[in-house]
Amino acid sequence: MDGLITVEHLHKSYRISKRGKGIPGMLANLVAPKYEKKDAVKDISFQIAEGEMVGFIGPNGAGKSTTIKMLSGILYPDSGQILVDGKVPYRQRKQYVGNIGVVFGQKSQLQWDLPVIDSFELLKAIYRIPDQTYKRNLARFTEMLDMQEFLKQPVRQLSLGQRMRADIVAALLHDPKIVFFDEPTIGVDVVGKETIRTFIRELNAQDQITMLFTTHDMQDIEKTCKRLLIIDQGNKVYDGALSGIREMYGTTRTLDLELQTEVQVAPIPHVTISRPDDSNPRKWQLQFDHHAVSVQELMGFLLATYPVRDLNISEPEIESIIRNIYGGRQSE
Amino acid sequence: MQSDTIHLIGVYLKTTAKAWFQYRVDAIMRSLAVFLREATGVVVIYLTLMKFQDLNGWNVYEMLFLCSLLFLTYGILIIFFTGLRDFGNTVRKGEFDRYLLRPRGLLFQIIFVNADWFAAVGHGCLGISLFLVTAGKVGVVWNVGTVLYYLFAVLGGVLIQGAIFLLLAALNFYLLETDSLKELLYYDMKKFAAYPISIYSKVIQICMIYVIPFAFVNYFPAQFFLRKQDGAVYPFACLYLTPVVGGGVYLLAYLFWRYSIRYYKSSGN
Ligand SMILES: Nc1ncnc2c1ncn2[C@@H]1O[C@H](COP(=O)(O)OP(=O)(O)OP(=O)(O)O)[C@@H](O)[C@H]1O
Ligand SMILES: [Mg+2]
Repeated sequence: MDGLITVEHLHKSYRISKRGKGIPGMLANLVAPKYEKKDAVKDISFQIAEGEMVGFIGPNGAGKSTTIKMLSGILYPDSGQILVDGKVPYRQRKQYVGNIGVVFGQKSQLQWDLPVIDSFELLKAIYRIPDQTYKRNLARFTEMLDMQEFLKQPVRQLSLGQRMRADIVAALLHDPKIVFFDEPTIGVDVVGKETIRTFIRELNAQDQITMLFTTHDMQDIEKTCKRLLIIDQGNKVYDGALSGIREMYGTTRTLDLELQTEVQVAPIPHVTISRPDDSNPRKWQLQFDHHAVSVQELMGFLLATYPVRDLNISEPEIESIIRNIYGGRQSE
Repeated sequence: MQSDTIHLIGVYLKTTAKAWFQYRVDAIMRSLAVFLREATGVVVIYLTLMKFQDLNGWNVYEMLFLCSLLFLTYGILIIFFTGLRDFGNTVRKGEFDRYLLRPRGLLFQIIFVNADWFAAVGHGCLGISLFLVTAGKVGVVWNVGTVLYYLFAVLGGVLIQGAIFLLLAALNFYLLETDSLKELLYYDMKKFAAYPISIYSKVIQICMIYVIPFAFVNYFPAQFFLRKQDGAVYPFACLYLTPVVGGGVYLLAYLFWRYSIRYYKSSGN
């Protein structure tokens, strides 16, 4: 199956004008433009199949929002190709955007002064949503997201979590085939986040809606996406299964060891040994790459050599793996 | 227009009105403020003109007739072009994103989301009453031809000013801000246009005819009715060109706008 979304060698830079304001600055700008160029997206390619749900992550300023804006037809790329559902977003804007939904967690699309339901009614007219579809979707989504009690409340009176849920529904009323979420959980509390994740997961499973999901919370990704796309400084650094990332980057294992007596643990090849707790000299921590050191042999050796009271092996949290991937470039 | 487009305009209107009435006092105060401010403006013009008695052959009423065209066209203009007039803010805040995400025409949305009906009523009433009073005083003869001429002249005048707003709006895709440019290209020109252009230096006259054709908004249409002596130096055809100039410059501005959208940068968060 070919990709529903195909992105090839996408590049986008922002030109930040260095001239001042006012007529003099403006004239200077027209005569001799002075820009600072900032490559937000350098060279990104990927494909997403219909019905897929992809986590899209990267550190601040990596170029995620810029990519989403190009995918949704807001920005023109400098070079490269985007084809979504057979259309070029920025060229066939009017036909295209009726098929997609976009949620920018940082920017609400609701009418600030009006009740939530009024914004929905407006969207119904804008997207030419048939009565039946509108009623069905509204009933279904408000039920799923538990929004009944604040539908008639002005948006400015809503909590952040409530506003976010309303914004998500606003992006879905017209039955989009593809939805881009740019930080739809930002600022939302734990319970609210869980509600949103469950909703997104169910929607993807039941309606086969294709989704791209940007967030800084790895729990969001772990609970919703199977596939992960990581970008950093405008380049793609990982594209594959969420589980695969452990194989690739998370090969470090941590072995926590507690001995019955105060014995010194002697150096072992390829293993970093440290004492995690100064107040307890019987506790040791061993770190190693599980491709370089066999867990089985190491454990056998430890049990045979030392008076072991307790032993525990842990895999790294996906969170810290990601942190390492991001951090890796700084040490390079 | 299709029926669903008209329906949407209705929903936009309802939404705007509803938002207004959340702050009822505000809304009423605002339209009152617009009316008073503009009315004061008219009084000031009247008093100033009284002093001159006669300016290049134009008497007070003839000059108020000239001004009435400015008020009237502006009244119509701000129904449709408020969104473009204030487009700089929309771009700087990244709010143009939302327009781009809707399956509707961009200008259509900008116009009808921001249509300022309250202010329009203020400006329009003033323009019409000023026009009715002065048209009688300057002896305009009404027949089918002059009525048609007048309607087309108003339309052309709206388009000329609309084109300036549209041009400025498109420039926001390139420049950090366009407020000072708007002051120069629009508001200063409009102030000049309150008087017969023949009182100005050659440079300003040429500018108002060929560069920013404000003279076609009110001077030439007024001359069509009044035929004052000072107008003899300009090509006779100018009297009839307002709708053509309006359509022409609007088309140019529109093409420039269409081309410039690709340079929209949105905004970081
Ligand atoms: N409108 C803009 N004008 C100029 N520079 C911009 C603009 N938008 C983003 N940038 C710059 O481009 C780079 C990428 O920004 P982008 O918003 O795409 O990052 P992001 O991955 O979404 O980051 P975050 O996680 O903070 O949301 C950043 O360096 C940012 O400063
Ligand atoms: Mg972002």
